[in-house]
Amino acid sequence: MNKKLLLTGLILFILAWVFLDDLVEDWDQIENAPENLKIFFTEDLWPPDWSVLEAEVWVDGSLHKPNGDVCDESIELFCSKAWTGMVVTIKMAFIATLVGAIIAIPLASIAANNLAPLPINLAARIILAGLRSLPSIIWALLFAIALGFGPLPGILAMTLYTIGYLGKLQYEAMEGISNAPLELGMAMGLTHSERLFHIVIPESSNHLLSQLMFMFEYNVRHGAVLGLVGAGGIGMYIDNYINPPFDYDRAFALLIVVFVVVVIIDLLSMIIRSFVTEEGDVRRPKWWTVLLPAGAALDYYNHKGNRQNSQVEESE
Amino acid sequence: MDIVDESAMENINGSISKDKILMLRNISIGYNKPLVSKISKDIFGGEIIAILGPSGIGKTTLLRTIAGLIRPLSGEVSHKIPRRGGIGYIPQKLGLISHSSVRSNIALGAITRRSKWLSVFFPLDRKLRNDIENAMKSLHIQDLADLPVRILSGGQQRRVAIARTLIQKPQLILADEFLGELDSENVKSIVEATQKAVTELGATLLMVEHNEERALQMADRVWRIKGNELVEEGGFDE
Repeated sequence: MNKKLLLTGLILFILAWVFLDDLVEDWDQIENAPENLKIFFTEDLWPPDWSVLEAEVWVDGSLHKPNGDVCDESIELFCSKAWTGMVVTIKMAFIATLVGAIIAIPLASIAANNLAPLPINLAARIILAGLRSLPSIIWALLFAIALGFGPLPGILAMTLYTIGYLGKLQYEAMEGISNAPLELGMAMGLTHSERLFHIVIPESSNHLLSQLMFMFEYNVRHGAVLGLVGAGGIGMYIDNYINPPFDYDRAFALLIVVFVVVVIIDLLSMIIRSFVTEEGDVRRPKWWTVLLPAGAALDYYNHKGNRQNSQVEESE
Repeated sequence: MDIVDESAMENINGSISKDKILMLRNISIGYNKPLVSKISKDIFGGEIIAILGPSGIGKTTLLRTIAGLIRPLSGEVSHKIPRRGGIGYIPQKLGLISHSSVRSNIALGAITRRSKWLSVFFPLDRKLRNDIENAMKSLHIQDLADLPVRILSGGQQRRVAIARTLIQKPQLILADEFLGELDSENVKSIVEATQKAVTELGATLLMVEHNEERALQMADRVWRIKGNELVEEGGFDE
C-alpha cells in the first residue's frame, strides 16, 4: 500500500517536472531572482509607510478624509485611507457574500446528487461552473464597463463569483452529509425545501459556515485586487500606489492591513464554527497548565471533566 | 397463505382495527437481485409486527421498501396512508441531526403537521411547541432539551428519535432495530413509552428486531425472513 502510494507520488512529481521543464524556456532567469527580490524589498517595500493610517493634512493644517471631507473623528485613524478603504471593502465583501450565499445555497441544493435527480444536478452545476469560470476581476471589468467605476461593479462581480465558488463548495458539503436523516425526511414526506432547511443546512452547518467565512475572507482579499479595475475600496488605493509615482511602501502598508483583517476574520470564523463543531466538546488545555507538574495538570483536567460529565449523567 | 385472516382481528389490547392501511402484493425486494420474493401481506391499523431474521437477509430492505425509499423489484406496495407525515421512520442509525438540539430534532417530526408553505420559515406554532414539550416529558428527556444530540448517550438518543416519530402522529411507524444494544433498564422504559404512545395514537408499529425474546413480548404478529421467503409465525396465522 505504502509502495503504491510512493510510486504514485513519484510518477506525479516526475509528470509535474516534465510539464515545468516544457513551460519554462529560460532557466537562467532564476539566477538573478533572489537579488532582484532583495533589491525590490529593501529599496521599495521596506519599511512600510504607515502614513496610510493617518488622515490627509492639507496646506492649511486641517485634517481630511481621502474623499476630501473634513475629518471630524476623535481618532485620526478613522479618517485614514487604510480605515476608510478597508471599511468600504468589508462592506462590499459582506453584501456580496450574503447575497451570493442566499442564491448559492438553493442552487447548491439542486446541484447535490443526493438531493435532486441527475438532469437537474447537471443544469445547476453548469450554471455554477459558468459563474466560476470567469475570475472576479473579469466580472468587475465587465460591470465597470457597463456601470462605470465605484463599489457597485465590485459588489456585483464579487456576488456572481461567490455564487459560482460557494455553490460548488456547498454542494460538495451537502453531498457529504449522512444519508440517514435525509432518508428519514423522505420517508416522512418532507418537501425539498423542508429537507434543505431543516435537515441539510443544520447537518452540514459546520462546513457551510466555514465556507461562508472563507468566502467572506476571499472577497475581502479580492477587494484589494478589484481596485485595479476601479471597483472601489482599499484596492483602489493600492492601485493608486502601485502606479506612478510607485509608492510601493504605502501599498505594502495597505497589504499588511488586509493581512491583519484576514487573520481577524479567520479567528472570527473559528469562534463561530466552535458552536457547531465537536471541537466545542473538547477540553482545550489552558496555557498556564504547561507550568504545572504533569500530575497536577492531569488532576486539574480530570476534576473539571468529572464535573461536566456529571451534568449529563444527572439527566440520564 | 400469507394473507391475514380478517376474522382473526382480535388483539391482546383490542386496539387493532379492521382497516388495512398497507397492502404488499407479491413484491420482491432487494438491490438489483431479489433478497426476498413473493411477499404478500396486509397490515392493519394499530397492530405491532416484528420482523425477524439473520443479518443481511433483507429486513431493513423490506422496511425501506415500505417507507418508499426504494422501489420493489416487482409487485406492488399500496397504502392508504397520507404521504406527508403518515409514515414515521426510525432508521438503524436513528437519523438524528447531530449538531442540533434535542428540541430541534423532535421539531423535525412536528413540521409534518404544519402546512408545507409555512413550514420552511415558520415550522412551529404554539400548539406544536407544547406538544414537543409534552413529548419530551413523556420520554423523560425534558432536561436535555437544549443539548446537542451528539453528546447524549445511546439510550437518550433513541428516546429523541422516538419522540421525533411520535410527535409526527404517524399512522405507520417503521422502526429498524430501534432498541439497539440498550441495557435492559433502558429497553424496558423505552418499550413501555412506545407501546403507550402507539396505543394512544392507534398507529401501527412495524419493527425490525434482532432480539427474538423482546420481539415476541411486544409484537402481535411476527414475520420471519428465512432464505428468500417471508413467513408469518404465531399471531393471527396460528
